Amino acid sequence: MKTLQLPRSPKVLLGLGIVGFFIILTVVGPWLAPDNPSSTAYAALLGPSTHHWLGTTSLGQDIFSQLLVGARATMVVALVAGLVATLLSMVIGISAGYLGGVSDDGLSLLSNVFLAIPGLPLLIVIDSYLPVTSRSNEFVIGLIISLTGWAWGARVLRAQTMSLRNRDFVEAARIIGESRSRIMFTEIAPNLLPVLASSLLFTVLYSIGAYVTLAYIGLTSTATWNWGTMLYWAQANNAPLSNEWYWFVPPGICIALVGTGLALLNFGIDEFINPRLRAGGLSARQRRSLGLPRRPRLGLTPVLAPRPRTARRNVVSS
Amino acid sequence: MSASRIDVGNRLDRRGASPSREATPSARDFVLEVSDFSVHYGVDANMVRAVHDVTLNVRRATVLGVAGESGSGKSTLVYALTRLLRPPGVISGGRAILNVSSDDDPARVTPVNLTTASERELRRVRWSHVSIVLQSALSALNPVRRIGREFDEVLRTHRRAMSRRERRRRAEELLALVGLEPDRLNRFPHELSGGQRQRVMIALALALDPELVVMDEPTTALDVVTQREIITELAELRARFGFAMIFITHDLSLLVELADEIVVMYAGTIVERASAGELYAAPRHPYTLGLLESFPPLHGERRELTGIAGSPPDLAVESVGCSFAPRCPFTMDRCRAETPPLAPIGETGRSVACWLHATPSPVPVPAALSRRWTAPVGPTAPGVTSR
Amino acid sequence: MRMILRRIALYALTAWVAVTVNFVLPRLMPGNPVQTLIGKLTGQVTPNEIRAIRLSFGMGFHEGLLAQYGTYLNQLAHGNLGVSITLGAPVSSILRASVPWTVGLIGVSTVVSFLIGTFSGAILGWTRGSRFDSLIPTATFFQAIPYFFLGTVMLLIFGSNLHWFPVLGAYSANVTPGWNWAFIASVIRYGELPVISIVLSSVAGWMLGMRNMMITMIGEDFVLMAVAKGLARRRVIWHAARSAVLPSIANLSLAIGLVVSGALLVELVFNYPGVGDLLLQAVLNEDYPLIQGIFLVITLTVLAANLIADLVYLALDPRTRSEAAV
Repeated sequence: MKTLQLPRSPKVLLGLGIVGFFIILTVVGPWLAPDNPSSTAYAALLGPSTHHWLGTTSLGQDIFSQLLVGARATMVVALVAGLVATLLSMVIGISAGYLGGVSDDGLSLLSNVFLAIPGLPLLIVIDSYLPVTSRSNEFVIGLIISLTGWAWGARVLRAQTMSLRNRDFVEAARIIGESRSRIMFTEIAPNLLPVLASSLLFTVLYSIGAYVTLAYIGLTSTATWNWGTMLYWAQANNAPLSNEWYWFVPPGICIALVGTGLALLNFGIDEFINPRLRAGGLSARQRRSLGLPRRPRLGLTPVLAPRPRTARRNVVSS
Repeated sequence: MSASRIDVGNRLDRRGASPSREATPSARDFVLEVSDFSVHYGVDANMVRAVHDVTLNVRRATVLGVAGESGSGKSTLVYALTRLLRPPGVISGGRAILNVSSDDDPARVTPVNLTTASERELRRVRWSHVSIVLQSALSALNPVRRIGREFDEVLRTHRRAMSRRERRRRAEELLALVGLEPDRLNRFPHELSGGQRQRVMIALALALDPELVVMDEPTTALDVVTQREIITELAELRARFGFAMIFITHDLSLLVELADEIVVMYAGTIVERASAGELYAAPRHPYTLGLLESFPPLHGERRELTGIAGSPPDLAVESVGCSFAPRCPFTMDRCRAETPPLAPIGETGRSVACWLHATPSPVPVPAALSRRWTAPVGPTAPGVTSR
Repeated sequence: MRMILRRIALYALTAWVAVTVNFVLPRLMPGNPVQTLIGKLTGQVTPNEIRAIRLSFGMGFHEGLLAQYGTYLNQLAHGNLGVSITLGAPVSSILRASVPWTVGLIGVSTVVSFLIGTFSGAILGWTRGSRFDSLIPTATFFQAIPYFFLGTVMLLIFGSNLHWFPVLGAYSANVTPGWNWAFIASVIRYGELPVISIVLSSVAGWMLGMRNMMITMIGEDFVLMAVAKGLARRRVIWHAARSAVLPSIANLSLAIGLVVSGALLVELVFNYPGVGDLLLQAVLNEDYPLIQGIFLVITLTVLAANLIADLVYLALDPRTRSEAAV
């Protein structure tokens, strides 16, 4: 079984830092918020100050509080959707890859259909028919998002499973007489851990985008706070055109930061899965200290400067 | 022999060549001279010494066989010699000189130091003087191009004067040399069989009439019959065009068929060097003996296959003594303490790195390592006589 | 050939799924939203229009579900997507006016973004380890910004504050739409900022994907052989890039859906008269016929774009011509 050991590159560490920060914010954000995000107790459209770090909305709500409280809903939906979608893609992808034959044809077709339908318009159609009570429920929204986001992972996992299907350890499990589901989920799945992790990161990334977008066009309850509804209210009140940057820029930056963190982590997983992506052998610092060119050149193997030799060994004259 | 050389596009653009010094007399005899050549993977603590202080020469128009298990450093050595080794490979010492003969006057030879050459100089000698055939032709040919374009590209790069039609004719001619129909030029690599692809690679390697062709296990991926055919063809082509060859393989019995001289590599060093006939009939190093016993000969008397117990050493760990000692059936105390140098033995010019053959001999040399051998009398090279 | 037939079959099936989703969804939801809608509408629009809406949902005068489905498909086949509740016009004619804008905007941005991304990705992959590597985190950041947010920021900085670009709309109010130069120039001028926004958001994806494929290709034997052949560096890069671009094109099918989803919202930000802006209006007003019509048209357009991408891929990769693999 492979364990997932991420390379300790600056990229991966930065990604871990960012994602860790926002996960902590998800837990503690609402407690840290100085005000009730919906309370309209203050003057409208105050600029950033020591009282209101990010100013207030046109209704006099504290924007910083909205940002902190909104982190939870945004991240919870993204995580729920990401986990459910990854679970779906795992079950469908591994089954298709391992069972083969008609089950494979059917399941592959299903995922190809879901890949070909543009996700967001489908989401909008489904969501627009939802009763308002369901729209404000993070779990319902998360589930619907996961429905449109599992297909890519399933396709990748299917391909990976097919490459594992005939390995010795799978054969051995078959001979022992383990059941098919046991082979798929206790023998094969652990070996797909890096792919599963990468697929989880991607679906979480997709889910944040999808959720924020739904909220931005007003398809989630506008009464629950998340980063998308903040943008929705900012847009509805023409904040971008009135230069009220402190209203709409912070949620956007937060979304982008979470996304960047996830993508940076994924670089590490990519390098784990595909060794060619790892920087080969010599670091830039080592190269410099050896007097080698800064970057490796294909077809120009570097030559170390000759050092004085004391004795010649292993010499043939002919 | 040069009369039979194909003579199309022989003019080579020599502007900017580096005739740094007039070649020494020996340079005319050897196409490649390698001395004290070492290669590392990585540096510092994680360094792996893949090739260590290798010295060898390749005589013009002969075949040098390089044999050894995987991990013995044989492929690393030739990739590094041609400066094609990928990172983290680093050449850590030694010299490799390619003696390039001019096309107008084969007697005039210009040495090119491959270890100091610039990218431009390397580009000039690559393919027109040294070409390469890799183990897997399928991965060595660009999957999205027709075979014809591979030939066209090489000729267009190195023979600027040739017209499109001349290039096409030359490509057809080359395919005919390896027994392929001209219509193969319009095929994609995946449309050919494994044997056909490898023949294409050989034809491509000969496109510019090079002096040295490096073959990295070119027949390993093929079935035995095709393997046999290709070896025969190579011997014929070599006899006809007079190029030198470095032939890398783990199959020593195959080398005996083709090579004039063989070096056996183990753990990054040469452990034995001899003419093909000598090495086959009378091995001197225990490792060579082991290699010979792990493959059936293509023909000739049957032998019991025993193989070599154990596995090659971890090159990341610096060891004392002979690197083969842990697997050697004849290990002595000295083997664990001192590294044997590659030293000449006897009068035939062969060398071996083994304390068993030190003079004065410490112990009686085992019978398997002291067989007598006399060169067959005749005009042909030893490698060719054995067939 | 076989591959293309298989793809066409897949896309036909996908189109059928999209059509059926439109039919099933209103019936699945608690409280039948369409009935509610029609109840609300009675008195506001003419009985004829209500009839058209009912027909477009398959809710004609038959009661069996299968018969309803038949009516629905029949209406669809005749191009009847119903009548927009808010705009009072047939959905098909509304879409006919807005779809060209969307196809133009997203088509141009996708092509530009793919070309720039692939080219820079190839360079980034080839020069791995050089100073260019520091572009990667920046590119990742841009990739993670929601399209509509980047569009908003661009609009604010370069449109409203610096006045470098005209904002809001697809052409100036002073020109008459038609095939005249003033109009075309105005369309290009107004399109610049939306295109730049979409390109900025989507280029990093192509770039990073191409970089990874390029690095993988450089590890292949045939690229090493290109070096061994003494080819000029330019030619070696071409060998690697030519093969590395194939997976990018194969991925176009997946990416087009994502890009379209993102770009629809950019239209919204810039008040571009395309489908995206329409979609927002439809969602806000619960204009179900319009939402469904837009969903269907977007899906069909994306499927058509996928088919084009597949054809390009087929033309570039000879291996697919002999293999049956999809």
